[in-house]
Amino acid sequence: MMELMRHEDHRLITGSGKFTADWNLAGQLHASVVRSVHAHARVLSVNTDAAEKAKGVVAVLTAADVTAARYGQIPSGPEIQGVDGCVISKGSMPLLAIDRVRFVGQAVAMVIADSASAAHDAAELVDVVYEVLPAVSSVEQATADNAVQLHPTIPGNVSLTFENGDREAVDKAFASASRTSTLSIQSQRLYGAPMEPKAILATHDASRNVTVVYTPTQGMLGMRASLAAITGLTTTDLEVVAEDVGGSFGLRGGPGVEHGLLVLATRRLGRPVKWVSSRSELFAAEWHGRALKLTGSLALDADDRISAIRFDDHADLGAYNCYFGGFIATNNLSVTMGGAYDVPALYMRSTLAVTNTSPVSAYRGAGRPDIAFAIERLIDHAASEHGLDPVAFRRANFIRADQFPYTTANGTEYDCGDFNAVFDKALDAAVYNEFPERRAKSEARGRLRGIGIGYYVEKSGAGGAPKDEVSCQFDSDGGLLLHAVSGPSGQGHETAYAQIVGDGLGIPAAQIRYRAGAPDQRLVGNGTGGSRSLYGTGSAFKNLVDVVIAKAAPLAARHLNVEPGDVAFSNGRFIGRNGAKGVDLIELAKKHYIDSQTAHPLDSSAETVTGANYPNGCHIAEVELDLETGEIDVPVYTAVDDLGNVISAELVRGQVHGGVVQGAGQAFGEAVIYDDSGQLLSGSFMDYAMPRAGALDKVVSDTHAVPTALNELGSKGVGESGCSGSLPALSNAVMDVLRSAGVPPMDMPYSSHRVWQHVRKEKR
Amino acid sequence: MSKVSFTVNGQKVSVDIEERALLADVLRDNLQLTGTHIGCDTSQCGCCTVRLNGSAVKSCTMLAVQADEAEITTIEGLADNERLHPVQLAFSACHGLQCGFCTPGMIMATVELLERFPDPTDEQIREGLSGNLCRCTGYVNIEASVRAAATAMRVASPAAGVVEGGRGRR
Ligand code: FES
Ligand code: FES
Repeated sequence: MMELMRHEDHRLITGSGKFTADWNLAGQLHASVVRSVHAHARVLSVNTDAAEKAKGVVAVLTAADVTAARYGQIPSGPEIQGVDGCVISKGSMPLLAIDRVRFVGQAVAMVIADSASAAHDAAELVDVVYEVLPAVSSVEQATADNAVQLHPTIPGNVSLTFENGDREAVDKAFASASRTSTLSIQSQRLYGAPMEPKAILATHDASRNVTVVYTPTQGMLGMRASLAAITGLTTTDLEVVAEDVGGSFGLRGGPGVEHGLLVLATRRLGRPVKWVSSRSELFAAEWHGRALKLTGSLALDADDRISAIRFDDHADLGAYNCYFGGFIATNNLSVTMGGAYDVPALYMRSTLAVTNTSPVSAYRGAGRPDIAFAIERLIDHAASEHGLDPVAFRRANFIRADQFPYTTANGTEYDCGDFNAVFDKALDAAVYNEFPERRAKSEARGRLRGIGIGYYVEKSGAGGAPKDEVSCQFDSDGGLLLHAVSGPSGQGHETAYAQIVGDGLGIPAAQIRYRAGAPDQRLVGNGTGGSRSLYGTGSAFKNLVDVVIAKAAPLAARHLNVEPGDVAFSNGRFIGRNGAKGVDLIELAKKHYIDSQTAHPLDSSAETVTGANYPNGCHIAEVELDLETGEIDVPVYTAVDDLGNVISAELVRGQVHGGVVQGAGQAFGEAVIYDDSGQLLSGSFMDYAMPRAGALDKVVSDTHAVPTALNELGSKGVGESGCSGSLPALSNAVMDVLRSAGVPPMDMPYSSHRVWQHVRKEKR
Repeated sequence: MSKVSFTVNGQKVSVDIEERALLADVLRDNLQLTGTHIGCDTSQCGCCTVRLNGSAVKSCTMLAVQADEAEITTIEGLADNERLHPVQLAFSACHGLQCGFCTPGMIMATVELLERFPDPTDEQIREGLSGNLCRCTGYVNIEASVRAAATAMRVASPAAGVVEGGRGRR
C-alpha cells in the first residue's frame, strides 16, 4: 500500500498548489517588458506614444518614471576588498535602462494593460532608437587592450582583482617542487532554469498602506529587504507572499527589476498588476550562473605530497554587479581552495570582469562546485601526468581524521570530518577494485569505459541573518502550526520540520503544519540558501521542543498532582517520578486550549545561531563512450556523502539526486552561449540542453555521518553538495575514457557533438 | 472572439475566447484549472500536459479552438473524488516530486504512458517522459514512481496478467 510521503505532496499531485501565476486578484492589470535587442547600445529615445494609444493600455513605464519615483537600483553585492587594499568597483543595474543598454534582454520599458495579450501587443509598439556600440561577450574580449568600456566606474572593465592566501609561500614551494602540474578548466555559463517561470503579482492595500508582492522566492525577508532598498519603502510597507515555489536554486533570492517596477506600478495605478514571464525572456534576462575559468597548479615534493596549490581565476560578472556575483569569485572559490587535502601553502588570484551579457549571480553552489571541480580535476590530471594512482595519491594527501579541527593554509577551519572513512565506503559501494572487469566487458561490446572520482569539501552557508528564530502555535486538537523564515522551494521544509518537532514532542507529524515568513510573527532568520535550512532553522526547532517541554512540565505536574520537579518527559509523555501515572503532552495541549483568539500557554519561540559547516563526500562516476557517435552514457553513479546526522533519508537522497543531475546537466549539455557580438544563441529549451529522464542510468546514494558540533542537530548542508561531487566525478570519468581513446582532456559540456568533434580533431 | 465547447474533467463547458488563445491559457485563466502549469514557450517542458481524447498533449501547443468538442482531463480531474489515482500516490510515495511544478505534467504523461505500456521497460519510461522536464529530482525517483505505479495498477487490474508484486523493471 502506497502512502503519501511529504506534507506538501497532496496539493501538488492534485493540482491544487498555489504557484505565483495561479493567483489572480480582482481588477488586476497585466505587464509586459520591452527588452533590449542589442548587447551594447546607446538609447537615443524611447517613444511610447503608439503603445499608450493601443487598445487596453493603461500605462507605459520608462526610466523617467523610475527616476521620478526615486527608486534605486538592483543591489550590487558586498564591498569586497581586492589586492593592494582596493575595493570592488561596480556598475549597478537600473530598473529600466537609462541611456545605455548593456546586454540583450535588459529591460527598457514596461507596458501595463488590462489583459496580458494587450500588454504584449502594445510592447511591440514601443519604439526604442538605439545607437549600437561594440560589445564584449567574454572576459578575454573585455580585458583586451582598447576594449569598449561598459561603465565609467569600472576602468578596463575589471571590477576587482582579488587575492587570497600566501603568494610568497606558494612561490617558494613551487621553486623547490620536485614535480608540478597545471590545468585550466572552464565552468561554462549556465541558466539555472527553475521550472516555475518568474512571476509577480503586486497589489497595494491602501487601507493598511502595505504593498503585497506575490512571487516565487527562496527568502521572503531577503526579498522584502532588497525590495525596500530599491523602492525606498520601509520593510513594514511591504509583504512578500510565496506559497508554492517551483524551484529557486540561488536565482530567486532577491528581486529583479520587474519586482521594483510592479511595486511602482501598483502603487501608482491603485490596481493589482501581474507579470508572468515567458521562458525565453528568462533565458536572456534572469541571472546566469557559473561563467568561471580556473587555472590551477599544484606542486609536489619528493614524496608526492602536495606542497602548494595556486589558482588563477577569471570570472565573468555579466553586464552589472548584482547580488552574489562578486562573492562567488572571491570568497566562495577561495574558502575551500585546498579541498580535502593537507596542503601547507595556498594562493588564489581572481580577476572579475564585466561583459555585455546577462548578470551572473548564485546558481546551486555558487562557486563551490566550481572550485571542487577544479581541484579534483587537477588532482587527477597530476596523477595521470606523473603516473600516480588517483586513489593512493588522494589518500596520501587527505587531511587525516586526527587532524580535525583543521585550519587550512588560508585560514578556513574545518571542524570535523573523516575523509578516509567516506572514501573507503564510496570505493566499496562503487566496487572500484573490479572496474577493470567492467571495462573489459564494455570493450567487448564496442564501448570504451572510464571511471572518475570527485572528493569535494564545501562550506555550507553561514547565512546573513544574525540568528534563526522559530515559533509555534497550538490548535484545539493538540496540533501545531510552526513558523520560521526559511521558505521552501521543493526541499520539503514542511515535512522535515514537522518530523523534528513531532519526534521531540510525541505529536503525530501529520498534525503539524509549517508556515514560512508570516508577517505577524516578526521572526528574524535566514532564507533558504547555502544549504542551511535544515541545520539552521531545523536546529532552532530542536530547541523549540525543549522550550515547549519546559513550559508544559509545570502543567503536567499540576495535572498529575505531583511536585513540579517530579515529572519527567519521554516519548511524548510526562510521567510522575513515582511512576504512578502519566499524561501525554498532546492531551495537556488540548486541555489548555481556549480559543483561536487567545494565546495557548504552550505557544513558544526559540532560536539558534549556527555558522557554516563542511559537508564533504566522495562521488564516483562510470561512463561509457561510443567513439562512433561521441555519445557518453553514465551506467552507474555512486555518491557517499558526509552530511552529518541525517533527519530524513528520503529527503536527503532527493537533494543528492537533484544536485548530482544538475551537475550532469552542466557536464553533458547545458551551456549559455553568446556570439562575439553579444547575441544570445541559446535562448530556449530548444538550444539549451537540460537533462532529461535517464540522464544517469543508475544512482547509488549513501551517507557516512560525522556529526558536527556546530549546530544542535549535528547535521551538515546537503542542498548543493550534489553539484560539487558530480562535476568532478563525471569530468574525471570522461577524461579517463578519453585517455583510453588516446585523446587529451576537453572542456564541458561533453555533448556527443562536441566529444565527436574533439575525438576527430585529436585523432587526425 | 469564438465560442468553444468541450468536456473538462467530466463537465461540459463553453467559453468565449480569442481565436489565438492557447488551450493551456484557457484552462488556467477561463476555467481556473491552475494545476496545468506553463513552464516554457517552446513546447519543451511538458508542465502543461493534459489528456485530450485519451492522448497526452501539451496544452500550450494547441489553440483552444482546436479542442472544440474534445474530451479533456486535467490533473484536477484525475483523482476519483477523494481517491487518488495510483500514479498520483506513487509520485508521493517514491518522492518523485520536490517543488511540484513539473508534477501535474509528469503525472498526466505517466498515466498515458502506462496505458500504452502497463509493464514498461526503463527505455519506455524514459522515452515516455522525454517531453517532460524536471529541474529538482534528477528523474531518479520519477522513474521509480512510474514503476511503482505500474506495479500497483497491474495488481489492481489482474487482466493485465501480472503476478502480484511483480516489478516494473526489466
Ligand atoms: S508549457 Fe512547456 S511544453 Fe507546454
Ligand atoms: S519537482 Fe521541481 S521541477 Fe520537478
